[in-house]
Amino acid sequence: MNILKAIAIAATGLRAQSSRMRVISENIANAESTASTPGGNPYTRKISTFRQEYDKTIGANVVSVGRILQDKTEYEMKYDPTHPGADANGYIKLANVNALVEMADMREAQRSYEANLNVITSTRNMMSRTIDILRG
Amino acid sequence: MIGNIQIFTLLKTRMQWHQQRQTILAENIANANTANYQARDLAEPDFKAILARQSSGQASGGALKITNGMHIQAGTENNGFGASAEATSWEVTPSGNSVVLEDQMLKLAENQLDYQTITALYNKSIKLMKLAVGK
Repeated sequence: MNILKAIAIAATGLRAQSSRMRVISENIANAESTASTPGGNPYTRKISTFRQEYDKTIGANVVSVGRILQDKTEYEMKYDPTHPGADANGYIKLANVNALVEMADMREAQRSYEANLNVITSTRNMMSRTIDILRG
Repeated sequence: MIGNIQIFTLLKTRMQWHQQRQTILAENIANANTANYQARDLAEPDFKAILARQSSGQASGGALKITNGMHIQAGTENNGFGASAEATSWEVTPSGNSVVLEDQMLKLAENQLDYQTITALYNKSIKLMKLAVGK
């Protein structure tokens, strides 16, 4: 049935956005994660990517989660010679996570998620109208 | 049968068009954050052509006639409505995505309301037929 397709497509959107939300929460949780060995790398920010994919069973362009990439931004350095992760000069590398960027990303994910939910509600309304014809 | 009555054929075509559009809009919204995705929309159904086909005795929606049991029904899924890229987009993000959620929400609401109008009209038409047969 044609109209059920819309719900299936919106469901892939929901799945994609919640997976993105998971990556964002991972970033925020690890914002303060540093290395424990001298000169080691701290947590690297992750970026989720989406790609368009033709789903043969649904017969439409759905969204799927692509590879989760690493942010290539430089690590910020902080002077802290007592830290176990400090290098020979007494500097430690901080995770390249910017809380502000994560918040903005989170808002966008939330907004897109709501939009997909809206599609489901709207489609369900249309379906119930169709069934109403039967009732007469 | 009821399908031969012109108003029902038109309403049916219109309903199929709205369902198809709902699918296209769902695709757009699901891909709202996909890089290089271009928003699409459905062109309005050409009722002039549909009516012309109907009055010349052809099947509605441009479907092929089946004259043999071995024939496979062709093109029933999209009913000949073609989706194309939106002519004008409000904005394109740096990642090349041209979906504007507000715009899509507007279209979604419009589609839903129009569909409700059509189903209400369908109901009324059925009542009209019932009146005619005296039920």
